[in-house]
This record gives sequence, C-alpha cells and structure tokens, in this order.
Amino acid sequence: MTDTSIQLDGIKLHFPKQRNIFGILADFFRKRVRRFTALSDVSLEVKQGEVVGIIGRNGSGKSTLLRVISGIYQPDEGAVLAAGDITLLAGLGTGFSPHQTGRENALLFGSILGHGEEEMLQKLDEIIDFSELGTFIDEPLRTYSAGMKARLGLAVASAIRPNILLIDEVLGVGDPNFREKSKKKILSMVEGASTVVIVSHSFGLMTDVCDRVVLLDHGKIVTIGDPQAAIKAYYDLGEK
Amino acid sequence: MEENASTAPVLRRIGVKSNPLFAPIHTLTEIRTNRFLVRNLIRREVRGQYRNASLGYAWAVLEPALLASVYWFLFIMLSGNPDKMYAVWVLLGVIVWGCFSKSLNAATNSLTNNVRTMHLVYFPRTIFPASGVGANLVVTLMSCLVILPIIYIYDLEITVHLIWVPIGVFMAGFMALGFGMMMAPLNCVQRDIQHLIRFVTRAGFFVSPVMWTAEMALERGAWGEAALWNPMVLPITMVRHGVEGKLVDLPTSIVLSSIVSAIMIYIVGTIVFSKYERGAVKYL
Repeated sequence: MTDTSIQLDGIKLHFPKQRNIFGILADFFRKRVRRFTALSDVSLEVKQGEVVGIIGRNGSGKSTLLRVISGIYQPDEGAVLAAGDITLLAGLGTGFSPHQTGRENALLFGSILGHGEEEMLQKLDEIIDFSELGTFIDEPLRTYSAGMKARLGLAVASAIRPNILLIDEVLGVGDPNFREKSKKKILSMVEGASTVVIVSHSFGLMTDVCDRVVLLDHGKIVTIGDPQAAIKAYYDLGEK
Repeated sequence: MEENASTAPVLRRIGVKSNPLFAPIHTLTEIRTNRFLVRNLIRREVRGQYRNASLGYAWAVLEPALLASVYWFLFIMLSGNPDKMYAVWVLLGVIVWGCFSKSLNAATNSLTNNVRTMHLVYFPRTIFPASGVGANLVVTLMSCLVILPIIYIYDLEITVHLIWVPIGVFMAGFMALGFGMMMAPLNCVQRDIQHLIRFVTRAGFFVSPVMWTAEMALERGAWGEAALWNPMVLPITMVRHGVEGKLVDLPTSIVLSSIVSAIMIYIVGTIVFSKYERGAVKYL
C-alpha cells in the first residue's frame, strides 16, 4: 500500500489579468499574455496520517493551493493526485439562504459540500444538536445572529468524515464558549481524518497539531520543515 | 467515528477533464448524480423569489396575468383585434417567453453569481446553470396553473394535447440552458455579456410570438414567414395549441428546424461550457 495521500508535482497556476475587451484583443493580436503567477513549481507530498500546515504572508498563495488540491482551480502545469475524498473547510455558511429555516439550510449546505440525501437526513439530528440552536433551527436564517450562522455552518461541515481535510482559517467563530467547542471539534476532525492540511495564521495551533509546516512566499515553497523551523523562516522573511 | 484505514483509497488525479465532446451527455448524468444538490439549489432560488409575500406563490400566476392584461389592452387599443382568445394567447406567450428569458439570464449569470460557492467546494459546475434554469421551470409550471381557469372561462375542452404545455415550457428552458451555458463562461471574463443578454431577452420579446401568434405572422407574407424561423416560435405555439386542444399546427420545416436548432444550441452550449468553464473561473 502506498501511503501517499496528496501529491503535488510541479504545480503552476496563473491567474489572468482582468482587463477590458480592447486589452484582450490587443494582447491577442500581439500574442502577448499578461497574467499573474499565483503558484509556481509547488511540489509537495503528504503522507497518510500527516497533518501539514501552510503559512505565509497575505497573498502568498495559501488558499489558492488548498483550492488546487480540492480541484477548484485546475493547475496550468503539473498534476495533483489525492487518495480519497477531500473536504475543504472555508467560508462556513456559504450558500446559505436567508429565507429558509436552519434545518433547510443545513440540508442545503450539506448538499453543497457533497453529501447525499440519506446521509444528511441521518446526520441532521447530530448537526442540530451540535449547533446549539435549539428551537431556532426552524426559524428562517435571516433571524440568526452572525455567530448562530457560523455555528450552523460549522455543525454541518464538521459532520463530515473525509479522508483528506483541508482547513482554511475557520477557527474563531462564535462566542468564546462555542469557539472552544469548535476548536475541539475541529481537532477531533483532524484526528479522525487521515490527512489534514491547515492554512492558518495561528502559529500556536500550527505548532500544536502539525507534523510539518510549509512556508509559502510569492507562490513558491520556501521551506518545508518542522513547525518551529518554518515559523522561524517566516519571521526571517519579514525582516528581509 | 469511522476509520477508513482498512480500505485505503487509491491515489487518483484531481481535476481530470473529460473530453468536451461528451459534454452533452455528461451534463445530463451530472445533473442526475447531483440531484439532491440541484433540488436544494432550486428550492433556495424559488423560496428566495417569493419570500415575505403574503400572496406568495400566487404571484407566479398573477404576474404574467397582470402583464398580459396590459399588453392585451394596448393591443386592442392599437389594432382592435377581434379574436376573443387573443388575451389568452398573449398570456401564454408571456409565460413561455418569460420562462426562456429568465432562464437564459439565470444561466448566463450562474457562474458569476456563485463565486463564493465555487471557491468553497468543487462539484460539476454544470449544476449552476442547470439549477438556475430548473428554478425557472418550476416557477413557470406553477404559472401554467392559470390555464385551468382559462379553460373554464373560455369553455375549452380538456384534451390529451394539454401535455404539450409542459413540453413547450421544457423546450424553452432547454434552449435557454444551452444558450446560457455558452454565455456563462464568457460572462466571467467580461460582464458586458450579461448586459447584452438582458438586451437580447428584451428585444427577443418582440421578435418572438409573444404579442403576436404564428397564425398572424403567416397572414403577413414573406416577412411574417421569415419571423417563424425563430426557434422560440415552436415552444410558444406548442403551448397555445395545446391549450386549444390540438397538435402544434406549424409548417413541418419550421417544426423540424426549431427542434434541430434547440438540440444544436444545447450541444454547442454544453461543449463550450465544459471547455472554457475552468479557465473562466480563474477570472472570478
């Protein structure tokens, strides 16, 4: 059995530069390509059971890298291989509809995350229980506070047990009480999933849970190493 | 908590593109496999449209009926049309054309309006235009309930040809889906497309048999006949004749060309969509 869970081979990803139709035509006739390189030559192998963190400054390509792994962006060069189903935890509550009840939104968000009907109906009680919404679950979502929405989002997202879990800065939702609970929940998901990749600015968390940390800068991997070393490299980057 | 260790999943490549030439078929299978998601997205859309309205879904019937009464009044004033069924034909035209134009706008904007969802999770992006069109099909079929009182008021017979009503509506939605899937990736690159499409759907209102009927066009000689080559003539006329209790009564060449163009639009639309969707998403 190969124990590689995620394999990135020389990933290159460009974003086109947004411009008007005249710019596009001019570039087309001059055979010029204007683009922004978001990731260049990113190669990484993540073993099963590993927890890998990604750090880097704003705009260094962390979130983009997670999106490439989950198939949202197709790399312009290189290949992404993964073993098993992938779930990206980011922007909890995306796609929520303010006019439907919490219960309906739970089903909606679950189906957006790729769950079948039976699975969702089966997990619904657990989700409602975890969200601590009580009777609010049958009220329309527009009556919810921001924290309540976030709780519902996390409750749905955390009902999943994927092989590969990608986490993009979702910690710190809700009141301190719930934040503690959600951190525990995410940590238990991290334990439950066989492979985890976390993007976070919370270095404390990174040192706690990650086996290795990748430092990205301008779309390139600067270092891959143990958390302490990568965090040190991050601060060195800032001094330059 | 389940452990997946016993059945170690194999390494597979992410984001492998299937041949765009199979897109016309893949689109259908993708909608089928993701039907729970499609259903939820349609529900979100329909609920959103009729939120906080005391009359709620009744607006699906009221809106085209009110619109038709305005057009009817206008037309009677301008030309004094004697056909007592004219108001009904306008109403049905408004419903079917509305289905097409709303579906087309929904499909065109489906990628640009769902950026946040697209950045969160990957599922076949066909789902976005398909559920946009699906929501409008649901609303239109609700609007079609207006046919029941019409049948009673105008003392029409209930015949098996009523089946052409949903078929016509579906054909309008089907064409909107194909056309919209062509436009959706383009709209990601340049938002001018959505303004252009909004204009096209408004102008198309007059070029299509909404305020006029195929029969009226046939009486107008060459120009009238030329107007019948518009592929929207068939679905609208199909619905009208269905209510009237007869099989669609148009020249065979017109019927065939409309069916062929609907299928071609769908084939080209799905191919264009699957070929350019991935690149287009990077513009968002």
